[in-house]
Amino acid sequence: MRILLVEDDSLVSDAITRGLVSTGYVVDAVPDAESVTARLADTHYDLAIVDLGLPGEDGLSLVRKLRRGGSSLPLLIVTARDGLDDRINALDLGADDYLVKPFALPELAARCRALIRRATAAAANEIVIGGLRIDLAGRRALNAAGDVLELTRREWSILECLAHHSGRVVSKERLTQAITGWSEDISGNAIEVHVSRLRSKLGGSATVRGIRGLGYRLEDG
Amino acid sequence: MAERKRPSSVHGRLLSYLLAPLLLLLVAGVAVDHHVIVSPIHSAFDHSLSRSALAIVARIHAMPDGELAVSLPKHPPPPLRAWEGEHFFYRVSRSDGGTLAGVDDLPLAPDDHSEDGFSYADIQFRGEYVRVASYRTAEIGTPLIVTVAETPIRRDRAVHRLDVAFLINDTIQMAAVLVIALIGIRIALRPLQRLSRQIAGRPPQVMSRLSTEHVPSEVLPVVESLNTLLGSVRDSVLSQQHFMANAAHQLRTPLTGLKAQLEVLGRETAGTALEDRIALLQGGVDRLAHTANQLLTLARAEPSAHRASHFAPVDLTHLVSEVIDSVLDRALAHGIDLGADAQPAQVSGVYWLLHELLINLIDNAIRHTPEGGNITVRCGVENQHAFLEVDDSGSGIPLDERDKVRERFYRGAGSPPDGCGLGLSIVDEVARVHGGQLTILDGSSGGGTRMRIDFPPPA
Repeated sequence: MRILLVEDDSLVSDAITRGLVSTGYVVDAVPDAESVTARLADTHYDLAIVDLGLPGEDGLSLVRKLRRGGSSLPLLIVTARDGLDDRINALDLGADDYLVKPFALPELAARCRALIRRATAAAANEIVIGGLRIDLAGRRALNAAGDVLELTRREWSILECLAHHSGRVVSKERLTQAITGWSEDISGNAIEVHVSRLRSKLGGSATVRGIRGLGYRLEDG
Repeated sequence: MAERKRPSSVHGRLLSYLLAPLLLLLVAGVAVDHHVIVSPIHSAFDHSLSRSALAIVARIHAMPDGELAVSLPKHPPPPLRAWEGEHFFYRVSRSDGGTLAGVDDLPLAPDDHSEDGFSYADIQFRGEYVRVASYRTAEIGTPLIVTVAETPIRRDRAVHRLDVAFLINDTIQMAAVLVIALIGIRIALRPLQRLSRQIAGRPPQVMSRLSTEHVPSEVLPVVESLNTLLGSVRDSVLSQQHFMANAAHQLRTPLTGLKAQLEVLGRETAGTALEDRIALLQGGVDRLAHTANQLLTLARAEPSAHRASHFAPVDLTHLVSEVIDSVLDRALAHGIDLGADAQPAQVSGVYWLLHELLINLIDNAIRHTPEGGNITVRCGVENQHAFLEVDDSGSGIPLDERDKVRERFYRGAGSPPDGCGLGLSIVDEVARVHGGQLTILDGSSGGGTRMRIDFPPPA
């Protein structure tokens, strides 16, 4: 997996490069937006990390230019500004995620992993979470041992919905909406029953964590 | 402490400036009226007195012995009769001073050689003031002086009555002038009242210009200077925001670099003698980063930094689920059950500030809740007010510390070492920006703390 890092501050750039390289990525760092086009022309990247406060052309305008040019490269914005306006702007312009400085390297790595996973899932029609492999096209899930899990249609819908938002809390209402295609009237309790059956079927390959009052979250292992 | 002086009112000042001159005018007016009316009244009464003298002259006749005599009936006709309460005297005398008839000690009015032969005087006679009229004539060849006198009760009464009438009349006029003046002032001051209502009715963050429409020319300079002031406040707020944005950038970027470098270094030195010292450095940089962040948030939470355009409807249930999503891992790492009880509620607010508020409340709760404890975030509507609360099963805050914890940099006894004492100041400030109020209550589980924000009812 190759990541393009656009960051002008050498202290930050060097640390991010080292941190991501140590987690197994190949990282190319450039100090300004102008060098990005040339890099993208001859190399395939799985993700770009863009600092908003760049000298010359700033990060927002780079994001806009890339998206207008039809690029589907996943973009993670890092910025020292915390105002909501900037964040909304960046996301509206087509950035995929947003991280405010100062952040911890593991958090950055996790965001990178999630973005790359999302992009790969879209391309391969497959989502991998921990030991669990979810084949979206074949509508089936495989555990770490490679066995296909026997899921009901409702359990499958719940898993699919959770997998699409893995690592984030999915509300019960949203899960209910995901399965109402199969049943007219589903209570919150019914969701709990389905989730608990799904949990036991997943075994140790992934965990469905219940968040009191909010919903569920699909987690690695 | 000196008693605060009451603000002077324009009404009061105008009234006090008007009252003294008006009273002087009143006195002067009555005096002038008195002088104007006194001489016609006196001449009317003098004329009537002269009639009495003529009536006496008509009754002088020559006796057979050639002497002159005056015969008055026992009940003389009106010109010669004293009115009730008045005294009437007469004397007919010769030019040598001899008295023919009447009161012989009645003094004469000094001769002023007037054409009609009458002269008048005010004199004291038998202990009374009397008006005397003397008529110098010649009867049957003998020069005679007919003198009549009356106590001037009727004329004094007439003058007095007129004076009172003038006083009442003038007083009524002055009072009418005052009332009209006050009403006029009130009407003239209406634009000022309108202006003050316009200013008072604005939310603190609104810094647009005041309308100069319908502002009278006298008040226009005030409005113009207010607008200039508002403009410079707006400029300074904008430049402060600009400064804060730059400061944030300048602080955060090197902190990010330091933090990330130390993390990499920590990994590289794992298992060596340097590991512990790197970990200490990391802790220090983390604390520095946290404090810098909190300071920047606090500075940007100042009410003056927010324009009305920053406010938008914020769905609290959405806020709660987003914030919990972002802090869930931290809570789980501390072995804390973090959950929510979110009922639909909406406030008008600045989303990222409310986000910071809730993050700080939950952070605080996580720091003060032991492993195995739980934290519940609630939102909803009670008595038409939206509320947001974070309820933990932690150590709780003693009653006497509940006010202190809002102070900047205050850290209670037993606070974990990673905080900087700004969290609740931020919460307090953000709550105030939204017109809300932070209340610190006992946790609903018995122990612990319940931090509650009550928002104002929708406008």
